[in-house]
Amino acid sequence: MSEQKTFENSRKFLGKVINAPDKQALRTMMPLVGLIAIIVIFAFLTDMKIVQTKSINLILSQVYVLMIACSGVFMVMTVGGLDFSQGSLLGLSSIVISYLSFHSMPLAIVAGIVTGALIGAFNGLIHVAFKIPSFIVTICSMFLFRGICAYLTTDAPVAAKTTITVFNETWINLSLTFAVLLIVFLVFRFTKLGISLKAIGAGETAARFSGIRTKRIKFLVFAAAGAITGFAAFLNVAKVGSITATSGSQLETQILIALVLGGLPIMGGAKVHYSSVIVGTLMFCILQNGLVMVGLDSAEQQLVKGIIFVLVVALTIDRRSLRVIK
Amino acid sequence: MEEMVLQAKNISKSFGITRAVRNVSLDFKKGEIRGLIGENGSGKSTFVSMLAGILPIDKGSFILEDEELKIKNQVEANRKGISIIVQEMGTLPGITVADNIFLGSENQFIKFGIKKTSSMNRAAAKLLEQYGFGHISASTMIDHYNFEDRKLIEIVKATHFNPKILIIDETTTALSQYGREELYKHMERFKNNGRTVIFISHDLTEVLEHTDYISVLRDGELIDTVESNNVNEDDLKRLMVGRELKSRYYRTDFGGNISGEVVMSVENLTVPEEIDEINFELHKGEILGFGGLSECGMHEVGKAIFGASFDRSGTVKLENGKTVNSVPDAIKNSIAYASKDRDNESLVCNSSIRDNICLPSIGDLSQNGILSSKKMNEHALKHAQLVSVKMTGIDQFVSDLSGGNKQKVVLARWLGKDSDILVLDSPTRGIDVKVKADIYEMMSDLKRKGKSIIMISEEIQELIGMCDRVIIMKSGKISGEFLRDEQLGEEDLIKKMV
Repeated sequence: MSEQKTFENSRKFLGKVINAPDKQALRTMMPLVGLIAIIVIFAFLTDMKIVQTKSINLILSQVYVLMIACSGVFMVMTVGGLDFSQGSLLGLSSIVISYLSFHSMPLAIVAGIVTGALIGAFNGLIHVAFKIPSFIVTICSMFLFRGICAYLTTDAPVAAKTTITVFNETWINLSLTFAVLLIVFLVFRFTKLGISLKAIGAGETAARFSGIRTKRIKFLVFAAAGAITGFAAFLNVAKVGSITATSGSQLETQILIALVLGGLPIMGGAKVHYSSVIVGTLMFCILQNGLVMVGLDSAEQQLVKGIIFVLVVALTIDRRSLRVIK
Repeated sequence: MEEMVLQAKNISKSFGITRAVRNVSLDFKKGEIRGLIGENGSGKSTFVSMLAGILPIDKGSFILEDEELKIKNQVEANRKGISIIVQEMGTLPGITVADNIFLGSENQFIKFGIKKTSSMNRAAAKLLEQYGFGHISASTMIDHYNFEDRKLIEIVKATHFNPKILIIDETTTALSQYGREELYKHMERFKNNGRTVIFISHDLTEVLEHTDYISVLRDGELIDTVESNNVNEDDLKRLMVGRELKSRYYRTDFGGNISGEVVMSVENLTVPEEIDEINFELHKGEILGFGGLSECGMHEVGKAIFGASFDRSGTVKLENGKTVNSVPDAIKNSIAYASKDRDNESLVCNSSIRDNICLPSIGDLSQNGILSSKKMNEHALKHAQLVSVKMTGIDQFVSDLSGGNKQKVVLARWLGKDSDILVLDSPTRGIDVKVKADIYEMMSDLKRKGKSIIMISEEIQELIGMCDRVIIMKSGKISGEFLRDEQLGEEDLIKKMV
């Protein structure tokens, strides 16, 4: 009797998946299917090398900073914004952390967060007060803060106190990443902020007319994304030990690609899923390492990544709600 | 028999469920000026937009000199000899006067792929001189000229190639007496050249004075075509308004008193270029109507009360002495607002019914900052059912709903907030009869519960049918006020509007 029932249920479930009566549900599943596909493909191409402990450790070590930064930018993109300053933000926060690591570790961590938050607040303020689209503002600040990074590292890379590397332990990295992800998730899921962010992304005017303080929230979101990446900078310093002028460069595009691979609509809005942060980052990192292991040189890797990015965007973009990115 | 230049045969056009133009057949003679009149939404603009290639035709055809007109856009219409001066700004900013005049017909100045600006400027200057607009310089950026001069430039743009049909859609409202006289002069000149002018205006006096025949549209249907010399303004109004009020939709009570309790007083409400020193009071349990032509500023009044206007001055004061200066202020003080622009301002279309209903109430639905999904679901479902939204579930996206159902979601969110003052801008716009009746019923119900409603509407009948008091606006100012009265006719209101 109960077997019969189980069978019925599983058939229903399969029917649901196969017939896909709900396109929305299918769309949500897509990135996960993509992640599994990428793992399978690279496992095949690398004779299972990519699923061995050594490779997994290597991939994981690249995941933490990106995933933490993604969780902040996730909120920025939910409101329909973009943040291209993340890389130079990471670089500058890392420099500040390195300087202060000689005085006090807790102080260094806090200062990293504050530096990130200030840069984020700067972006948010210019974006909101002067009504300049965020991708323009953050491209400008990308150059601005990258310039400061370069200035500070003119003579030599900024080295942190050598003992900082003791924090570069898998369990520390994992738990810190998990903690940040969980906090952002809880705030996004269970407070007014999440629904407000989605509403702004889906229709800013209507959101404003619903009583949401859209300007204030947009400002806060940029500052928060900055603070979160400022925290990630600590993990970054612990990993690399000393900061050069190009530290963190291209983080912004990595974030963007990871989130889009994870299924985040590039316009933000009500269809965002937090899972994009995790699935997207993993996909990106596996892809990145997989391509190396397959033996492509860096130019070829760029090419493949570019093609995949365009394909994913073309496949997933919601043309009905297409408009200019804020 | 005089020569026909244009025949419209059974022209129809629908926007969703709204049938804007229904089966209109009209003949136009060579060398006539034809007035086209009707209330807002009677289909005048839609009709001429189809003729000018701005909108595609659903059904029917236009026959221009024995040949069916097949055009896809305005440029093609121009080539066929049909030209339009539109209601809104028809010139493009950022380019010169000459560029505007020859927009779409630049080819005549292009030799081997290179545009000869000087000869274009010379040609434009010559035209401006001919039209008597010598004060406008052809090579200047159009942005240097004010609205009226730009309209004059548009006249040149629309007529310099001597089209067979010239459509003038509601242009005179934007013009001063000087501009109007110029326009009339060119209409007359056109007519004497054997060309045909279709003239749309709300100003019945000028229509009577400057046309040969007048066609009247009502609810998208052609009512009659009359000779201008044989009718007067009252005849035209009767034709425009026509039917009796359909009393079953509307409130049937008359002679009730308005409560003396003032729930909101508005003083010197001003928004630059929109409304000017508006003063009024709203009473408890009152339905206060705002009427006027669509550009009279009444829509801005709604926005301004809700704190959503840009650069507003004046005060909106509530019974408790608090003033409203921002949207959050308004919502906190129990004011609701349903915008005329439902899809952009009232609803987050790319979002679920649940989120839309809950948005204004998220403060009430959370405890210590924690939002309860259960409460949200219950709240949304309860109020969606209260107004009987037709939906597959509260997770359905608002963008999938029909106009009427969207409006129901708008009402549901504010009922959910239990607002005491509801500002409803064009609440029944583009909504079918059945949902319309539902909305009127809901409004009556709210009134009975002591809620106050401000209804802004371009439909005169619903203002008369639903409101305890109607304020009429004209050019950003209040031009008249009427109390609820069985004897109140549309003509009374129209008189104050135009």
